[in-house]
Amino acid sequence: MGWEAVYLQQVINGLSLGAMYALLALGFTLVYGILELINFAHFNVFMISSFIGMIALEMFGLSGQSHILTGFTLAGVMIFAFIVTMFVAGVIGVVIERLALRPLRGIPGTVGMITTIGVSYILFNIILLTKGAGSFNFPNPMPRVAWPIGGAVLELREVLIWAVALVLMIGLHLFVNKTRLGKAMRATAQDAEAARMMGVDVDRVVMAAFFLGSALAGAAALIFGLYYNYTSFIIGYTAGLRAFTAAVLGGIGSITGAMVGGILIGLIEALGGQLIAVRWTDVIIFSILVLVLVFAPSGLLGRANPTKS
Amino acid sequence: MLSRRTLIAHLPVVGLAGSYAIRAFAADKTVTVGINLPFTGADAHDAQLIKEGAMLAFDEANAKGGAGGYKINVTLFDDGTATAGQYDPAQAATNARKMVADDSVVAAIGPQMSGSGKAMAPILSQGNLATVTPSSTNPDITDPKFASTYMPGGKAIYFRTVTTDAFQGPNMANYMADTLKIKSVYILDDSGAYGVGLANAFEAQAKKRGINVMGHDQLDPKEADYTTILTKVKSLNPDALYYGGVGQAGVKVVKQSYDIMPKIIRAGGDGVYGSEILGGAGFPASEGLYATIAAPDLLANPDSDTFIKTFAAKYGEQPENYSITAYDAALVIIDAIERVAKSGKQVDRNSIRDAIQESQAKTLQGAVGFDKNGDITSRVVSVFQITHDPKFPDDDVLHQYKYVGVAPATT
Repeated sequence: MGWEAVYLQQVINGLSLGAMYALLALGFTLVYGILELINFAHFNVFMISSFIGMIALEMFGLSGQSHILTGFTLAGVMIFAFIVTMFVAGVIGVVIERLALRPLRGIPGTVGMITTIGVSYILFNIILLTKGAGSFNFPNPMPRVAWPIGGAVLELREVLIWAVALVLMIGLHLFVNKTRLGKAMRATAQDAEAARMMGVDVDRVVMAAFFLGSALAGAAALIFGLYYNYTSFIIGYTAGLRAFTAAVLGGIGSITGAMVGGILIGLIEALGGQLIAVRWTDVIIFSILVLVLVFAPSGLLGRANPTKS
Repeated sequence: MLSRRTLIAHLPVVGLAGSYAIRAFAADKTVTVGINLPFTGADAHDAQLIKEGAMLAFDEANAKGGAGGYKINVTLFDDGTATAGQYDPAQAATNARKMVADDSVVAAIGPQMSGSGKAMAPILSQGNLATVTPSSTNPDITDPKFASTYMPGGKAIYFRTVTTDAFQGPNMANYMADTLKIKSVYILDDSGAYGVGLANAFEAQAKKRGINVMGHDQLDPKEADYTTILTKVKSLNPDALYYGGVGQAGVKVVKQSYDIMPKIIRAGGDGVYGSEILGGAGFPASEGLYATIAAPDLLANPDSDTFIKTFAAKYGEQPENYSITAYDAALVIIDAIERVAKSGKQVDRNSIRDAIQESQAKTLQGAVGFDKNGDITSRVVSVFQITHDPKFPDDDVLHQYKYVGVAPATT
């Protein structure tokens, strides 16, 4: 491999990672934008969704990487798995909001945030106690199709990740900007009180934000499983923390910011590992986070003035 | 006669950081042995196979009326935690304190992992409580150079029924140079005590043998993505990839290295010998992986046939080699209790430690003896290669790891 090919390959790796982080970061940003709440349960909604995705694929008798599907069967199974995983993940998000967070709405301070940490541990332990602590071999029915580009290799699974992430992000963008509920979400994000006075059903908006954010985490989790062919009860922590960093880097509360932040973190991780050493990855990522918070507290694309003072 | 028998329940896996004791009933004299293994986390299944090996020996001894008239109780300690997702040295230290505080505990088995061993050894040493580990191979713990850290009590308390990474790493470097004809290698480790020690020992000998070490990087075992580092490895195009570490990162290294470099020769230590790799990485990703163990291939020894049959019948799964070294560790302790009881001395942790030090116990790997630091006198390192046999379950260690030879010692 020449050095151009190596860097091209690392950019491909970084974009795939970044697409996952971006989908996950959107969940943090949607909820923060509306409630100004950092939802740490999101880490493990992601983790639990990967198990839901695994169960959805296993319903078709798939296991490991030796059952390969093609054509319409593959497309059908994939679409089914994405719909099931995203829907169940969305419902989990709504249930968390309804049971654990709505009763605390309006209480100032960190109560809500700390509750989400508690919920996160509950989700973590549900999987630990029911599925055990081993690593799971995530089924992947996709054939190994690869296109050589220079000396680098672009695989079908990478194209799939980018395509799914792109479709979902465009969908989210259209939803927020073009639909009535999306308009209500933007209004609530700007000023919940005023929105309520204008007849916006704030509870419904909050629920929608949790559903959408968690469903995107579900999509990210399924992508994660298909990409790494692996899942475990601990995957939420590292991925969640990176995605949260991505959301802050891009400007928490900003949807475009989360997407940009996610891609950036993915690229930093891949290229940093190539140029320096992977043992320094976290140091690089979190140093960048500290620098951003010091010099641009609202992130790269964050709103200059907070909506609520 | 019921009173001569011990009622041993099939032990459930203990919960988080808990411990569970079985009580022999109606026994006049009892002693307790603590077993510390990571029953929570990535290595839980292999910990279970090790525990079952040891339990088999204790059950057999108790069925015969105990060791020298003493019934043996077993208390389980779990040094795996949910937050670590694998063994947790902090929990291991807590468990060591619990064992030392309980006067009925005369000896221990474990830990599985050297990271835990480094945390436990100083505490056990101060309590003069001997432990026999069936799988922990980091050489520092028994190295006289570090005696002030790991042996502050002055006497050896960390005995092993396997040899150490001072042989496991270098011998594999010899095997790769001599048999596999490797000219260049990239080394990864999992940042743990065992993984770093093994990888460094391998690296030093590889360099001595003229193998070009193209790099050595450390992985975060909780990280999911190793494609970055593996892409870098691919670009350097080494003949082989050597991984020092345990299953948590190992599964992902095996899986992702197959995706990125399906043809490269991959090798590791006893951390990648086990059901975790087979089940987690699966096939075809784990096919062809070389793994060493710090012991002879005990499963192939005809003396082990009865053990394997009894084990499979009792637990419904096949043992692995470290089930046998655990069985041997239990035999060492049983033998020590018998000798102390016969000599008329009081059976306590001091007399048991001294008896283990002098051990010549008959085990499945022959007579086991220890040097003054606690290391086993036999220093055989065996090499296995994963070769898929679809007739058996994918995670069946006995049938999926094929013995390919002994890794030669440095001469």
